[in-house]
Amino acid sequence: MSLVEDVLVGAVRQGSPVLFATHGELVAERSGVVNLGTEGSMLCGALAAFATTVATGSPLLGIAAAAAAGALPALLHAFMVVDRGANQLANGLAIFFLGLGVTAALGSSLVGRQINGLGVAPIPLLSEIPFAGPILFAHDVLTYLALLLAPALWWFLYRTRWGLVLRATGERDEVPFAYGHSPRRVRYLALAAGGALAGIGGAQLALAITLTWVEDLTVGRGFIAVALVIFAAWEPLRAPLGAFIFGGALSLQLQLQARGVGISPFLLETAPYVLTILALVVLSSRAVSRMPRGLSAVFAGAQRA
Amino acid sequence: MNALPATGRLTPGALLRPPYARPAAWVFGTLLGLLVVLPALEVSIDQTLIRATPFILTGLAVALPARAGLINVGGEGQLLLGAVGATGVGLALPDTLSPVATLPLLALGGALGGLVWAGIAAGLYVGARTNEVIVTLLLNFVAVSVVAYVVHGPWRDPDSASFPYTADFGAGGTVPLLPGGTAHAGLLVALVAAVGVWLVMGRTRWGFRARVVGGNKEAGRRSGFNVSRTLVIALVAGGALAGLAGAIEVVAVEGRLRPAVAVGFGYIGFLASWLVGHRPLAVVGAGLALAAISVSGDNLQIDAGLPSTTVYILMAVVVMAVLGLRRRAGRQG
Repeated sequence: MSLVEDVLVGAVRQGSPVLFATHGELVAERSGVVNLGTEGSMLCGALAAFATTVATGSPLLGIAAAAAAGALPALLHAFMVVDRGANQLANGLAIFFLGLGVTAALGSSLVGRQINGLGVAPIPLLSEIPFAGPILFAHDVLTYLALLLAPALWWFLYRTRWGLVLRATGERDEVPFAYGHSPRRVRYLALAAGGALAGIGGAQLALAITLTWVEDLTVGRGFIAVALVIFAAWEPLRAPLGAFIFGGALSLQLQLQARGVGISPFLLETAPYVLTILALVVLSSRAVSRMPRGLSAVFAGAQRA
Repeated sequence: MNALPATGRLTPGALLRPPYARPAAWVFGTLLGLLVVLPALEVSIDQTLIRATPFILTGLAVALPARAGLINVGGEGQLLLGAVGATGVGLALPDTLSPVATLPLLALGGALGGLVWAGIAAGLYVGARTNEVIVTLLLNFVAVSVVAYVVHGPWRDPDSASFPYTADFGAGGTVPLLPGGTAHAGLLVALVAAVGVWLVMGRTRWGFRARVVGGNKEAGRRSGFNVSRTLVIALVAGGALAGLAGAIEVVAVEGRLRPAVAVGFGYIGFLASWLVGHRPLAVVGAGLALAAISVSGDNLQIDAGLPSTTVYILMAVVVMAVLGLRRRAGRQG
């Protein structure tokens, strides 16, 4: 395969776990809560999926465990932020540390283990389309799920009653409250769902990409997801583009390293992060105007500690 | 001219009064507590003082911009670039120079490194309205790679085998120690910085402007302040403080740059500042307390064979307990 094709296949493959986390963070932020603990949820999901697969040999059980493990730290974030009034950004970072520490301690005996993981499941016929086929239709099942989630979330947000309540909670929570909905319950549910999605993203990273466990497996992918939600201007249909830009940069870096290009691998490593920042620069001024109103106080630092 | 909201009591007098309630109580309370607890837990006081230095400085790197309404999550990266800056100066300076000249130059190199790194986020914030939380956070990951690059690449000590590091630039032995112990005097730098930030924010015209802008940008703008410049200065000054921490780690603790220098210290500083609602003097107490936890975590790692990151669990629990309890006490950050 050509370099371009390799990079594009890798972009979808590497972008998919981040896309899960981006979807999850998007749901949380639509309820008016920023969750930097998404990184911690990804780590918990990755470890839970890996450990379950090692123990049972079933990646599907691993994915289910990952969703639960990803939701737990997010629920803790919900408790701290919604019920205890903790600052969202500071508490999110604390949740990340908790996830990092817990997974490092629990996972230390799993370092070096190998699993079979999720195999590639090419879609018949579609995967045989020249060029586009292998890029889009020859991946593990979770990748298809991540892609399908974009229109599904759009439909949920804009075409269902619950989506309306979620959006209203993030904009002006007194409105759904006046209509008899509890903003507290909406935020708990949104954060739990978001954490579960981030956990599944972590599961995909461990089960389909790395196939091993190391401490801090995600190296910032959960934080990238928070950036990509801004890049996507809180619109689910725009999330895949951002995730695949990040995945593409990651994939390009790996391909260039594999082909022995004479650039330091450490400089290439910076490409996904630099590219994400550049994407934000290009889109920020437009995106900010679409921010859910409930979030502006958080990002402006106005929310009290 | 009526720039301030009509409701509430936001008078210039209220703004001038330093909003840092009872920082002295925090510092002395923490110190007393540590003096009792540390020997009981067999945690070395010297080690705690050494570890507290970067925590306090990166905490101040968060507290100062926070007063101007900016959230700096990039202390980690700014510290690392400070370490790179100080190493660059250290490798370039001739060995024969006296420490009286070398140490300030190393510190300057570190501060500049952190300043430049924060400057990227500050420039993008005022120039392109990018969110400073996200940009400073992502730049941390870039900074890790920058350190790895210089250590594996241009500045690699040819004698270093599978764990590369830069050459020892020989400044370690020249760092003065605190009286009566083996801890280096970097803590004094951190203390001076804390008092300095406290004075600047509470007692100077610029600090007043920064706090007005932090409270309400529009109020600052209508009062004729240069809001963008104030914000940029606040963020790069924070970056310089974190960079100073990086310089101290490289010069006084490690003696050379290694890829794993000060891992996580900047994030802990972030938590330290949030613990005390960004009050600069109280950051000293929070830094000391978190340093004690961190050092006891090192012991845990050695005694129980747990990974060093396990200490983050303890740290996160402490921070969340404080973040969650404060609302109950009805205090504001």
